[in-house]
Amino acid sequence: MNTTPAVVMDNGTGLTKLGFAGNDSPSFILPTAIATNEDSTRSRRTSPSYVIGEEALARADGQNYSLSYPIRHGQIENWDQMERFWESSIFKYLRCEPEDHRFLLTEPPLNAPENREMTAEIMFETFNCAGLYIAVQAVLALAASWTSPKVVGQPLTGTVIDSGDGVTHVIAVAEGYVIGSSIKHIPIAGRDITSFIQTMLRDRGEKDTSLRTAERIKQEYCYVCPDIVTEFKRYDQDVTRFKKYEAEQNAGKVVTVDVGYERFMAPEIFFSPEIATPDYLTPLPEVVDNVVQSSPIDVRKGLYKNIVLSGGSTMFKDFGRRLQRDVKHLVDQRLRQYEQQAGVKSSGVEVQVVSHKRQRSAVWFGGSLMAQTPEFKNYCYSKQDYDEYGPGIVRQFSLMNVG
Amino acid sequence: MPVQHSVFNDFPDVRLIGNFAVLPLRTKYRGPAYQTSEYDIVDEVVDLFRVNSFFRNFEIKGAADRTLVYGILFVNECLNNLRQSPNHHQAQKTLNVLASDDFAIPGEPAFPLNGIYLAPAAGIEADTLRQYLSQFRQELAERLLSYVYALDTSAPSKNWMAFSRKRFMGLSLAAR
Repeated sequence: MNTTPAVVMDNGTGLTKLGFAGNDSPSFILPTAIATNEDSTRSRRTSPSYVIGEEALARADGQNYSLSYPIRHGQIENWDQMERFWESSIFKYLRCEPEDHRFLLTEPPLNAPENREMTAEIMFETFNCAGLYIAVQAVLALAASWTSPKVVGQPLTGTVIDSGDGVTHVIAVAEGYVIGSSIKHIPIAGRDITSFIQTMLRDRGEKDTSLRTAERIKQEYCYVCPDIVTEFKRYDQDVTRFKKYEAEQNAGKVVTVDVGYERFMAPEIFFSPEIATPDYLTPLPEVVDNVVQSSPIDVRKGLYKNIVLSGGSTMFKDFGRRLQRDVKHLVDQRLRQYEQQAGVKSSGVEVQVVSHKRQRSAVWFGGSLMAQTPEFKNYCYSKQDYDEYGPGIVRQFSLMNVG
Repeated sequence: MPVQHSVFNDFPDVRLIGNFAVLPLRTKYRGPAYQTSEYDIVDEVVDLFRVNSFFRNFEIKGAADRTLVYGILFVNECLNNLRQSPNHHQAQKTLNVLASDDFAIPGEPAFPLNGIYLAPAAGIEADTLRQYLSQFRQELAERLLSYVYALDTSAPSKNWMAFSRKRFMGLSLAAR
């Protein structure tokens, strides 16, 4: 049993990542969606009572299945559905025997201990898994950044910017513990960028303005520029910056869509949210600065020095560079003010944003790193522990000190 | 990156009519503006039009900002007049008429932005402002066309035309 790799499952609001510890990337990335069929007269052979992932989305178009998303805002809302989701994940996707594997699951910051107990109950009693460890997503994202050459040692202090499809979180972590009071959420993430691109395509009257085309343009062509005014001028001078995208429509028809200013304007909504929504005005660098400033004073230097990116919406080219410059600017401004008031010279504050290759599934990858270490099994609770003490045991996990 | 303000806000000794900055222009059109050979407000309007069109909030920080706002709204009006996608030559004619034809100046009831512009004193001041605006509009229309038809003289660039739907500050010169 000691030789079987641990299973790493990262269940997010939008996507679930499944795989085995020690791997570079998850074996499966699927939507956290489940479609159930409650109709008792259905034929069991052709239509299973429930399906998950892409298949669930496909089935939901039909009549008999109802689609639901068991995770809302990072938290598990529907435990019955989640149990079925895990069952499919383990037996249909990973195809493993849970008795033979330890499991590393992830949870959002500030998850209620009751939720952990529920999770443990399902994992141990339904699946009879060999061992369980539940890690905080932000901490795993920090661990994933250790692969970057910019990071010295294995710091467990840092600011995590996690941006997926629905929402962006900025979370301060000190010595492996999330500082709950300084978490900030930003209602701008991947979905908003996509719909911003879609609006720009429509304004220009492109031939294909579907969500899918906008999504592909986002992934292939968008980048972050240092200064939008000069970027517009560069497009005037150099027409090769305008790109063309071949969009495939129904029935194999291909139309050409021109790609223009949305290449740099779309990711810009992180830095000037005003251009996309009238209700939210605080730029991301300012939020990061606020989060660090609201943390205890003795960890602030560490938080500025290790700003870690995680999630698909942080993958734009030069995203980290721009963020670093803007945060640095805010910090320097404050320092100058302080120097003037106090008349003392400050030694300066180092601001560093860490980008790395595993950013897209950073949380999963961090879990994979943690769970492949030989110490991992000592941090897990086993089935025996659970039977002896009951579900309350999972309220407390000790931090993994790897390396 | 926030909304952009005019660099001319910081210039000393700017001529004012009402609270509208009468800035020097680099132009061959005749009018009351001082001549300059350097970067002028028209260049700035063309540079900032696309960026600022995305924003709805704009705080006026100086008299030159009022000139900038007027310019940006005028560019928007120009683009709206090119909706039929005329060729370069037709567009020149259309915009020429638009720029020099009868238009309202601050203080007149037909001027849509009287909330942010002060009326000039009647008589000679009002006449000067009208002549300056006419000169400014003609020069701006001409330079705008050189961008909009830079690649193709048969139809306006759709990259520019996309901005005709945007409403900077939620305002428009055409809405009377």
